[in-house]
Amino acid sequence: MEIKTSTKSGSTIIEIIGSLDGNTVNEAQEKIMPMITSNNVSMVLDMKGCGYVSSAGLRLLLMAAKQLSVQNGVLVLAGLSDEIKDVMEMTGFNNFFKTFNSVDSALDALRKGV
Amino acid sequence: MFRVDLHPTHVCDCGKFRLRMGQPLPFGATIVPGGVNFSVYSHAAISCKLALFNKHEKKPFCVIPFKDEFRIGNVFTMIVFDLDFENLEYGFHMDGPFDEKEGHRFDKTKILMDPYSKSIGGRDVWGETPDWDDLYQHRSRIVFDDFDWENDHPLETPVEDLIFYEMHVRGFSKHSSSGIKHPGTFAGIKEKIDYLKELGVNCVELMPIHEFDEFENSRVSPATGKMLMNYWGYSNVGFFAPKAGLAATGKFGMQVDECKTLIRELHKNGIEVILDVVFNHTAEGNEKGPYISYRGIDNKTYYLLTPEGYYFNFSGCGNTLNCNNPIVRSMILDCLRYWASDYHVDGFRFDLATILGRDQNGAPMSSPPLLETLAFDPILGKCKLIAEAWDAGGLYQVGSFPSWGRWAEWNGKYRDDLRKFLKGEPGMVGAMSQRLQGSPDLYRWEDRGACASVNFITAHDGFTLYDMVSYNQKHNEANGENNGDGSNDNYSWNCGVEGETDDPEINRLRLKQMKNAAAMLLVSQGTPMILAGDEMANTQWGNNNAYCQDNEISWIDWSHLEKNKEIFNFFCKMIAYRKAHPVLRSRTHFLNKDYKGSGFADITWHGVEAWNADWSPQSRTLAFMLCGMHAKGGTCDDNSVYVAMNMHWDAHSFKIPKLPDYMSWFLFVNTDAKSPNDICAPGKEKKIKNQSEFLLGPRSVVILTGKDNK
Repeated sequence: MEIKTSTKSGSTIIEIIGSLDGNTVNEAQEKIMPMITSNNVSMVLDMKGCGYVSSAGLRLLLMAAKQLSVQNGVLVLAGLSDEIKDVMEMTGFNNFFKTFNSVDSALDALRKGV
Repeated sequence: MFRVDLHPTHVCDCGKFRLRMGQPLPFGATIVPGGVNFSVYSHAAISCKLALFNKHEKKPFCVIPFKDEFRIGNVFTMIVFDLDFENLEYGFHMDGPFDEKEGHRFDKTKILMDPYSKSIGGRDVWGETPDWDDLYQHRSRIVFDDFDWENDHPLETPVEDLIFYEMHVRGFSKHSSSGIKHPGTFAGIKEKIDYLKELGVNCVELMPIHEFDEFENSRVSPATGKMLMNYWGYSNVGFFAPKAGLAATGKFGMQVDECKTLIRELHKNGIEVILDVVFNHTAEGNEKGPYISYRGIDNKTYYLLTPEGYYFNFSGCGNTLNCNNPIVRSMILDCLRYWASDYHVDGFRFDLATILGRDQNGAPMSSPPLLETLAFDPILGKCKLIAEAWDAGGLYQVGSFPSWGRWAEWNGKYRDDLRKFLKGEPGMVGAMSQRLQGSPDLYRWEDRGACASVNFITAHDGFTLYDMVSYNQKHNEANGENNGDGSNDNYSWNCGVEGETDDPEINRLRLKQMKNAAAMLLVSQGTPMILAGDEMANTQWGNNNAYCQDNEISWIDWSHLEKNKEIFNFFCKMIAYRKAHPVLRSRTHFLNKDYKGSGFADITWHGVEAWNADWSPQSRTLAFMLCGMHAKGGTCDDNSVYVAMNMHWDAHSFKIPKLPDYMSWFLFVNTDAKSPNDICAPGKEKKIKNQSEFLLGPRSVVILTGKDNK
């Protein structure tokens, strides 16, 4: 798994490439959680390169989103595969997230204040 | 805060994992900082080893003995650090005596599932043929116990306001006609929540969802050539784990989250969840059965044994769980507390619950400690506790199940009496008068209240409602037991022809009989239970014991909904009527007197003549009136309700009790009338012209609402 970060239109974009599972979640957590500060009010997790998210991975996403919302920020997901979207819906992890097909549509929505 | 007692003190022999002595409680595998705490009880084992596997792998990657110093009392406990617990399966090897007479059956070569497993692998996808060469078939896994409940809380709906809906998770939506994305799963039920709301039920009772083995005793039916499976699942492998094969995400090991999500979403929509729990036996069978867990961990603790060391079989399934052994009692309590607190379930229905009241020699006890413990447990304090008050050992306790004012019962007498009355048997009006008012003959003696009675006409066990009016005899040939299985006491009537027919008169009568049954069920005091699919006249083609039929016989065919709109509409409106009228939902039994000064007793009995019910043996007519001012023990005001039942094959005119001048009778139901005049929306009833008399057609039910003239 690889994590790349960038900034665009005032939002932090975190790209997750590979599987987010028990093997990789700790590393992902160490990279993502420190970025959740009051300076980063909007974040997009770009998931188009992520083929699998395990229970542990879903928990990391939810934890990050909740943490950011406490700081009045918002974390959205972009580029989820249909299967991951489906799993998130069935396991109740979708309620807290807004999801978008692409990073650009996510940024658009953030600009308009989702 | 850092703890000083969470650092490793030992290393396992292979050098890969660091260890320390664990905490004996809680039992099972618990995630702790940096590792996993394992804890397992055995009274008679002399040693124990922990086997660790990567998911789905046959060979363990490490086997770690519990060191002597890691044993506290009869508990082996150890923390193993640095595990990737998401990809982990674990089991135990227990060593101890093999002495059948003494009740010991230890075999250290077996890999044993943890009795406290919160998740169990091995049958991840329903019906996928297992690898029979794998020595470890049912594999303990570790779960995340956190879940985003979004402020959900068990609903605590008063039991008298509930309408139970019994369903099989798979059978409810597996049929290709269900039209959903994830048929046959927890997620599938979630997709059908709007349907449940339209119907109006507010509590689903899920047939077993604990991990069971659908391949237990699987075989090909000699009659049909189809595979027969352990479809119903009344045979637990584990008590703490939801069945992976009932979850669409079971293949990812996410069944816990999927099941919790379903419960959360049902709660959001005002629907409670009751689990059908099976504590009377396990899937290990008798002495010829497999080692899954309990037999190899502590046979003598977990099972009722004969003096010769064989298994008592009060369950009819090979063994009997030793429910009143203090260890097993604790496990059952831990299990129920876990489901109540971690899964937010609203209550439990106990399969063959009478076994829970047998002592360690199998004899029935007057005050069984397990049942008492559950009745008074603080965490289960608001849970509904419902007993199936009989067992396969011949103990029948309907009306006498030890209750402490907490336990309700599946009222088998309600089912039988109502069926007999419905088919026109004579001599039933006396019994019916009891059943309609919450069976005070059974439940008043200990002040248990009307809601001690769970009223049902059909359940998973037996005919569906449609089959009850379409078959005189069971037709279980597909089960491959020469039609010898299943009950012969069905009290059913086929209305003239056995099975499917094109005869419009017979089909009309069947429809009317189903409406009669639904009407009587939903105006009865006590808590009604509907079998899923009955509201659309689902059929099992006369099979009254479809426990092994994982196919169209037992899956609900949703195309019935379109075909049988009329009965669905009838159910919806009857349920809405029950919800609209508290007078139908008394928590306590009637006092048979006028304690509100309304001029009417809370309940009064009538017949063809008002105020003069015909109690004679040949009578097939009965009517009653509920006074609205006495609703819910006089605590709220409601309309009055008059129900007339003519189960005779001829029409009869019923004289109706006269209301005060400012009130009139309005027609809600007449099952003899053709749709749409058979029933109306509650509150839209039309005033009847003749306020003193109503002609009831043959075999029909009329319901009138008594309210102000305006």
